[in-house]
Amino acid sequence: MRHIVKPLLRHRMMPLLVVLQVALACAIACNALFLLQQKLVPIVSPDGVGHPDRLLVAWNIAPRGQPWPTSRLGQVASELRAIPGVTSTSVAGSWPMETVAQMNGSVMGEGEHAARADAAVYIGNHMVDTLGLKLVAGRDFSAAEEGVAYTGIGIDASGPAIITRALANRLFPGGDALGHVVRIGDQADAGRRTVVGVVEHLMRNKFGQDDRENIDYSMLFPGIPSNWPMPVFAVRARSAAEVDGVLGAVKAAIKRDLGPDMIQGIDPAYETYGRLRDRALAQSRAAVWLLSGVSLVVLVVTLVGIMGLTGYWVQQRTRQIGVRRALGARRRNILREVQLENLLVVGSGVLLGLASAYAVNLWLMRHYELARLPWQYLPLGAALMLLLGQLAVLSPALRASRVPPVVATRSV
Amino acid sequence: MFDYYLRLALCRCRQNVPMMLLLVLTMAIGIASCMTAMTIFRALSGAPLPGVSPYLHVATMDAREAVDKDNPDYKRPDSLLKLADAKALVDAHRAVQQVAVAQSLTRLGNPDGDTSSQAYGLMAYGPALQTFGVPLRYGRPWTEAEQSSNAPVVVIDTHVAQKLFGTDDAVGRSVTLGQRSFRVIGVIAPWAPRMQIFNLGQNAGGVTGQDENFFVPAQASLDAGVGPFTSGECGKDAPVVSFQSATVAQCRWMETWVRLGTRAQVDAYDRFLAGYANAQHDAGRFAYPPQATLYGTQAWMTLNHVVPDDVHLNLILAGGFLLLCLVNVAGLLAARFLRRQGDVAIRRALGASKRDVFMQHLVETGLLGLAGGVLALPLTWLGLWIVHMQPVSYADAARFSPDTFVVLFALSVAVGLLVGILPAWRVCRQPPALQIKIA
Repeated sequence: MRHIVKPLLRHRMMPLLVVLQVALACAIACNALFLLQQKLVPIVSPDGVGHPDRLLVAWNIAPRGQPWPTSRLGQVASELRAIPGVTSTSVAGSWPMETVAQMNGSVMGEGEHAARADAAVYIGNHMVDTLGLKLVAGRDFSAAEEGVAYTGIGIDASGPAIITRALANRLFPGGDALGHVVRIGDQADAGRRTVVGVVEHLMRNKFGQDDRENIDYSMLFPGIPSNWPMPVFAVRARSAAEVDGVLGAVKAAIKRDLGPDMIQGIDPAYETYGRLRDRALAQSRAAVWLLSGVSLVVLVVTLVGIMGLTGYWVQQRTRQIGVRRALGARRRNILREVQLENLLVVGSGVLLGLASAYAVNLWLMRHYELARLPWQYLPLGAALMLLLGQLAVLSPALRASRVPPVVATRSV
Repeated sequence: MFDYYLRLALCRCRQNVPMMLLLVLTMAIGIASCMTAMTIFRALSGAPLPGVSPYLHVATMDAREAVDKDNPDYKRPDSLLKLADAKALVDAHRAVQQVAVAQSLTRLGNPDGDTSSQAYGLMAYGPALQTFGVPLRYGRPWTEAEQSSNAPVVVIDTHVAQKLFGTDDAVGRSVTLGQRSFRVIGVIAPWAPRMQIFNLGQNAGGVTGQDENFFVPAQASLDAGVGPFTSGECGKDAPVVSFQSATVAQCRWMETWVRLGTRAQVDAYDRFLAGYANAQHDAGRFAYPPQATLYGTQAWMTLNHVVPDDVHLNLILAGGFLLLCLVNVAGLLAARFLRRQGDVAIRRALGASKRDVFMQHLVETGLLGLAGGVLALPLTWLGLWIVHMQPVSYADAARFSPDTFVVLFALSVAVGLLVGILPAWRVCRQPPALQIKIA
């Protein structure tokens, strides 16, 4: 070991430059990969919606002045239901993948030490059928429950709720969530919702800094929210072939029934859920491309840098290597030594890099809405950098091992 | 001497072309990524109204008149005020200039009713044009007398004037706004703050400023049935949010902006504002202690996250990446220079001073930096184009501007010299005798 460390200490500049490079690359890569993973979550997580190409969503349907009366919204919904080829319709306050209107809040179980979660709340009628959600326990809302008349939006009202499996597991880790009560908020008079059903997945419509699990924390309340200015209509077509025809009829019906009282200058938007999802995730997708591009370039630049420096460092010592070979060192010994040396240098760079990755993350957390870097990223980053170092040193090390012993006799 | 070094550098670059290309490319990528992020950042970080917004401040206070159990702590400063409060603040004339405004979106028509134009505009109480420094093309702003008599007068921009009347100079014409006919008293050039500054509390996601096509006195507009786009925060009994409603007496929907020159004026106005708000609280109107605060435009934008965090994060990422490229290139250059110790030794033995050797190598790296900069130019353009194509809210800011050239040039030369210092110093340090011996 001593014969590896000593020369490193004597000629400090080259190893120091490698250490610095590895440290920087490690700090950048850890944070970039962490950001990348966060942006990736909504893209790779299941949203729970069945046949996204058959679901039509209409939003930006805002009235001038007072919000639409629920009776009028219900009337429009029943007209949409009557369109040939439509199997189910829904009127809701907010909708998955539609981020203009969001309802999010802290929800918790009953009791002193109940688990809490930050969940999205969707209030609307016939949402399970229209979204094509998969019930894994319990039942859908009954017709009577769907007919509830709220005085407000409905978020503070008590009644039944359907929640996602992820949320059920979070709030009621003991197991069965059915029949349990979820409190919507901290207040003493907060709404109390009894869980009647559990669906497999349903993504919330607030993205950013989510891990796999909590992006799936959603609740459904039945009925049409009243006093809500931005309702969403959703219509499920029987087959993909009928979507275009249904879309035309939906547009015409909404324009005819609500058009005269809509706000001026902002038109209603109609899209299939699939397209809506593509658009909602486009920003995340762009960020994923950017961050993976940056990470890749960082790794390549580091690889080339280590390679160049080690190549020079080996070339510098050609004569010493020749002497060692003449004195009996085998090719394999020389190869191992160069590799070990690289491991030492890169390893110290990694230690420095991990510390700075953590420091950078802490600094970013203080100034931006960013989550803490999970500790798993540190060994991951370290392994990546060490691997990269070994890859970079392979060719210079092989070259070193091929130095013939006869070099020792030349030009001394 | 300099051109000799330059020729030497060129000569040496030709000796190992792949290595030189690698160095230049690494620098170019580092510079280009930094330039891309910096261009976007610069486009979004300057004053939203150059020359004006540094002196503009917005008044905030907890003006809620009823207890709100959902937000008892007044989580973040609120700039929305009732028209009555906004009027009181403006009429007090405690600032150099002051105005209360609200965003409106409505339809402007010509008197025949055959042409109309959907237009964004500001409903204002006070001298809006003067306070925000909006340049008038024709005519004049409205007077206090017109405002207090609720005269139906309006200022439009040339865009609307062209669309409705086919001419820029529409002064004296009539425009239909809501249910009334308004007389055009002034025409402005198209005007928009560079970034979103109005009604930030309810305008999440907008980054670049809205074109304001018309300015109209608030009360006259309400009388004609045209209200603000969103009616802001209304009382408990009123609907949560409603759009384009002119019945907003119960709502807080106006923002008060004041123009203040000196630090002393700001302090004085801050005290006046706190005094006004506290008096309302003491009189029992405001339900909570008002915590009235004056925010400068920039501070207000920062508080409301107008510029997305991503823009800052990308800049930090790009900066880190450039740093990595610098260290990388410095290392490769050091290896490259030290391989040529023999040449240096001979030059030193022939009488070149350390300084000469140092300068010679610095010229070489400066040249490489410049080459990197030249290559970075198309790369930056490419980077900006890619960002421009992205579905991000700040895509509009990703535009190549002439001053980008200057920054790019300065950055690439600085980069070239910076990466050269360590290797050049290292190579000129060793005594000539030892180097000749090695050679």
